[in-house]
Amino acid sequence: MSTTPDKLVERYLKHLEVELGDVPRDRRREIVDEIAGHIAEARAGLEHETEADVRNILDGLGDPADIAEDAGERLEVERPTPPARHKAGATEVGALIMLLVGALILPVVGWVIGLVLLWVSNAWNVRDKWLGTLFVPGGLALGLFLLLFPTSSSQVSCPAIIDINGTTITPTCDTGSTTSFLGIAGAIVLLLLPLFTTGYLVYRLRHAPANATA
Amino acid sequence: MRKGTLQYCVLALLADEERYGFDLVRSLAETDGMVTSEGTIYPLLSRLRRDGLVETTWRESTSGPPRRYYRLTADGRRALDAFRGEWGRFRDAVDHFVEREAG
Repeated sequence: MSTTPDKLVERYLKHLEVELGDVPRDRRREIVDEIAGHIAEARAGLEHETEADVRNILDGLGDPADIAEDAGERLEVERPTPPARHKAGATEVGALIMLLVGALILPVVGWVIGLVLLWVSNAWNVRDKWLGTLFVPGGLALGLFLLLFPTSSSQVSCPAIIDINGTTITPTCDTGSTTSFLGIAGAIVLLLLPLFTTGYLVYRLRHAPANATA
Repeated sequence: MRKGTLQYCVLALLADEERYGFDLVRSLAETDGMVTSEGTIYPLLSRLRRDGLVETTWRESTSGPPRRYYRLTADGRRALDAFRGEWGRFRDAVDHFVEREAG
């Protein structure tokens, strides 16, 4: 068999694949596979295949651009008609406020309410929701808590050393201050992160295509 | 109009037996004026499948690779029956005007 008919078919299918670029991938795959099957069936029915036969088969199928246009119209109708932009409703505003400062109003519970609202909303996708969940649990409360009540680790006093004479030497050591410095830096990061997250989620509300994945 | 009714022609072809794509397309193409680009049947079949009007099964073929067979679902049958009633009334109504004009 000459390779020309194979090349024609290959080119046709590639062309079709490109033209179907706007069609969701699984359906594009399905359509291209079915049409490839169609071509194979038609070719298998030929006694002595000529290049003209193959060209006739492809002509019968139609121009890939026409198939793609038709597919676009057919499959477009099927798409659930998502509003171009998801409006931020009470759920979204509530979620953002409660995630950020909810724990300050109602310890723990406030943030959990924000979390529930976040996951109930369909304005964000799953990735956004995880981001909102993990950065940072408790919202601003966690950072503030660490800032106002430094952890016990930063207050560790240096071990006293007793010298041979029995006098107690309290060495000057700055471990404590280092720890508290790290503690403060950590607390500031924990205060900034939820602010960034909130900013990002607001941005996503305004700019992300609302493809609801609840 | 051809576009809107084509899917019912496909459903009708599947009313009595399951068929694979190439076979369906060949049957449709036998009637002049039904399909201009045979390839457009495949997006249509995909759509019907997603809508639950047809379902598919792969079956081995004696002459080549396996074929995807399409078969009507209960929903597909209901849609076809509903269309048959509607189409009959529509055709009569159009005939009522168009035929008289000609005659």
